Amino acid sequence: MKKSEDKKNNSKIKVFGTKIRLKRFDYKELDQRLRLVTYARLFLFLCFLLICTRLWYLQILKGNQFKALSEKNSIKYIRLQPYRGNILDCSGRLIAGVEPSFNIGIVLKDVKNVEWLIERLAPLLQLSPTDIRMKLVASKNQPSYLPIIVRRDATWEELSKVEARLFELPGVVVEVAPSRQYPFGPVAPHLLGYLGEVSLEQLRQKKFANSRPGDLVGKSGIELRHQEELSGISGYKMIEIDARGRLVKVLKIKKPQPGKDIQLSLNLDIQLAAEEALSDKVGAVVALDPRNGKILAMASSPKFDPKIFARGVTKDEWKELNNPLLTPLVNKAIQGQYSPGSTFKIVMASAGLNEHVISPSSTFFCNGSFKLGRRRFRCWKKGGHGQTNLYKALVQSCDVYFYNIGLKLGVDRISKYAKGFGLGEKTGIDIKGEKSGLVPTRKWKLRRFKEPWQKGETVNYSIGQGFLLVTPIQLARLISAVANGGKLFRPEYLLNTEPNLQGIVPVKSWILRTIIPALKGVISDKHGTARKCRIEGLEIAGKTGTAQVIKQKKRREDEKMAWRYKDHALFVAFAPVKNPKIAVAVVIEHGGHGGSAAAPVARAVIDRWFKLQMPKPSTIIEQTAQKEKAKVHG
Amino acid sequence: MDKKRLLKDLDLPLLLCLFLIMALGFINLWSASAASGYPFHIKQLQWYLIGTGFMCAVCSFDYRKLSNYSGYIYAITILLLIIVMVAGKKVSGSQRWISLGFFNLQPSEPAKLLMVIVISSFLAREDKEQFGLTDLIKPSLLVFIPFILIFKQPDLGTGLLILIIFASLVYFVRLKWSTFVTIFAFLLCAIPLAWKIMKPYQRKRIEIFLNPEADPFGGGWHVIQSKIAVGSGGLYGKGFMQGTQAQLNFLPEVHTDFAFSIWSEEWGFVGAVILISIYFLFLLRCLNIAQNTRDKFGSYLVFGITAMIFWQVVINTFMVLGLLPVVGIPLPLISYGGSSVITTLLGTGLILNVKLRRSLFQGS
Repeated sequence: MKKSEDKKNNSKIKVFGTKIRLKRFDYKELDQRLRLVTYARLFLFLCFLLICTRLWYLQILKGNQFKALSEKNSIKYIRLQPYRGNILDCSGRLIAGVEPSFNIGIVLKDVKNVEWLIERLAPLLQLSPTDIRMKLVASKNQPSYLPIIVRRDATWEELSKVEARLFELPGVVVEVAPSRQYPFGPVAPHLLGYLGEVSLEQLRQKKFANSRPGDLVGKSGIELRHQEELSGISGYKMIEIDARGRLVKVLKIKKPQPGKDIQLSLNLDIQLAAEEALSDKVGAVVALDPRNGKILAMASSPKFDPKIFARGVTKDEWKELNNPLLTPLVNKAIQGQYSPGSTFKIVMASAGLNEHVISPSSTFFCNGSFKLGRRRFRCWKKGGHGQTNLYKALVQSCDVYFYNIGLKLGVDRISKYAKGFGLGEKTGIDIKGEKSGLVPTRKWKLRRFKEPWQKGETVNYSIGQGFLLVTPIQLARLISAVANGGKLFRPEYLLNTEPNLQGIVPVKSWILRTIIPALKGVISDKHGTARKCRIEGLEIAGKTGTAQVIKQKKRREDEKMAWRYKDHALFVAFAPVKNPKIAVAVVIEHGGHGGSAAAPVARAVIDRWFKLQMPKPSTIIEQTAQKEKAKVHG
Repeated sequence: MDKKRLLKDLDLPLLLCLFLIMALGFINLWSASAASGYPFHIKQLQWYLIGTGFMCAVCSFDYRKLSNYSGYIYAITILLLIIVMVAGKKVSGSQRWISLGFFNLQPSEPAKLLMVIVISSFLAREDKEQFGLTDLIKPSLLVFIPFILIFKQPDLGTGLLILIIFASLVYFVRLKWSTFVTIFAFLLCAIPLAWKIMKPYQRKRIEIFLNPEADPFGGGWHVIQSKIAVGSGGLYGKGFMQGTQAQLNFLPEVHTDFAFSIWSEEWGFVGAVILISIYFLFLLRCLNIAQNTRDKFGSYLVFGITAMIFWQVVINTFMVLGLLPVVGIPLPLISYGGSSVITTLLGTGLILNVKLRRSLFQGS
């Protein structure tokens, strides 16, 4: 019986030639469905009732109240943007400040024909009509009485063109807004970072809670890291408008709270000297105070103009900023990774002494090359250095001497000391994007290349070539540690923070004291590789480095060799030798020899610092005047 | 095929309600367009016409064929949602649109309708007297995939809507009491978990809903201004294009999610109740069809589409009246948007289709 009913309910029929399976409700199910639909109707009715009750409550019961509110709603709030905090150098000089600039915007409410206006406005601002259209679309959700900014920080030329035609262009407004100004030009743009319009992603973050679409916020560097302190708190202007949305009067103003100033440990004089010395080169300079790890200067070249990001980057500018060879946007001081070349010999010498592989007086003979099995490893000096001790090896940068140490130490011990000197890990400087460099180990090689470590690689490793990679800021910290007796500080750019000691170099203190005279010799000895760094009246210690970019069968001193195949030039130094107060690391990409390309840059930086230490002319005059007085009285 | 008999079964009251809603929607968008300076009403009229064309087209074939193609329909749904995830257009942080040049398709809109077809077909084929927990696993999985894809866009509102439509359909196929209780208990436990998964801005919306005055210039703005708009309408409203809230741009998004708000402001309590009444008459007609169809698939299909429209109406009006947090659910046919309009009209077309084939079915 049931089966036959099933058959009746679930028959197959043909409709329009397609077979269709049918499932009908049986009578019991029909009953149930009736009940379910009735409940659904009831629920529908309940919701209907709820909506009507709510409408009744809002519109009839509270209607007058809301009517009053809507009439009062002729009051509008206009957000007032706060002035962004200044960024100052260590002596309070303004590096990045705020000055009024002029923005050109469109108030859509007053525009009759948007397309017509865009066609007229675009050529005046040297924008394409699509640029303007994009900006209008991006701010679609904002009330139409607020201006949509199409050109930030307009030039005088653009401004005068627009101002002159303002009456022909209804809806176009010129408003004054604070914008970042750099009284000394773009100083340390990589460290400071740049401002740009806040992105939607940023708006979701807590850091940008005070920002609204269209605001300028920090996009990189210090501007991004300290966005919260710098941005300040916005105020508002309460205005009354009439039914057409026109201003009647200003009712109340809550002034915005300007952002906090940030004082950097950066010394503007030293920074400018570094940037000037780098200006025609590609590379980076980092200058630290070895006593506490404060950054005195950090420059990366080529630099960029941070103002173009707030204004909107043009296609050509963008192309230039992304030049793959020059990489102007990369902060090479913390993001550039280079072979340290011979600067690594400082670590090698320390490691050798600490592990008793050599003593300060042990010598090796250098005949210009070194044989390991069938391979020959050359010293940079063709004829060789002859009988060489540690002092000579460092001063003249003898490669063979360090090949010997390297083989005695082995890769594992070299890496242990490289890490001990702070290489292969981030220094922890408090801005985004720092790279960690690379200290190779046997394990790493096996994992990375599925091949065991080769002895020849140890030989290369011991003169800072091969897999080893360091960043300029790591080098600066390394030479600082040599200068200050082994202390590794975290590099800090804020003036008023406590020094942050991260560790001690794992070598006995007499070892550093043994090496320093040799490093002094690098500059002052007549065979020193960095004689170009000499400054009269100041004792400087340092070490040059030359890092190969490509393998060369024969060392070529060819001036004609393509720029991008030339060696990187490196130099690390500190001064004065007694009581060091400044430590500098310089990397010049494809600069050639460390001594000839990098050392003069370091010299310029140290020289500026040295001049700052001298009493100022005025004080000299005062002092002599006092002496004169004393004489008279005497 | 007796065409005359088919036409006799055309549900005229339903169609009348439909065209009335579209007419009111057009008038309303006209006013909203004056506020925003963009001719949304003209574009919407185009969608109405295209949608009505689709509706007629949908009526012309037998809906029962759809059941055979439910696998393909499901595949298309998932494909569309994956395309939008990979190559979709990003607008204010959400990737919801596929740019077709002349038109930005929002696949989560048709996905609602397509999922109703798929689930109805699945449940009709299962053919159980009562559904237990284990019977629900398969269809739940079917629903879960598009839900996750939409949730990730992120579009929490539409994602949840699909779940609610599914729940409504499950209600309609009858659930065992024990299953019902289990699911309810499970949902209660899942609420804290859901709170954790939500994005910060979604959480903020709920917090603001509970206390809109806490952030009057940020997220609370919508709710406060919408309530003022509706409330200030009073009994008869401020009149066509006279609503200060909308015309002076105090109300954001008057043409989409807050369209009902401008309607209530300009036409008052009377206008609002009339519009809601038409909607409910429309929905009651739909329920009648669901009740009187003997074919299981047809009945489920009609009930599912009705649920789809019903929940959108309820959620949107509740949101506008400050009874629910702000979620991006449009008011069908009143809010501006091509994807939504066409989906609603296609759905209505399917309902009419079921009604048309009723007699045909009885005859066979």
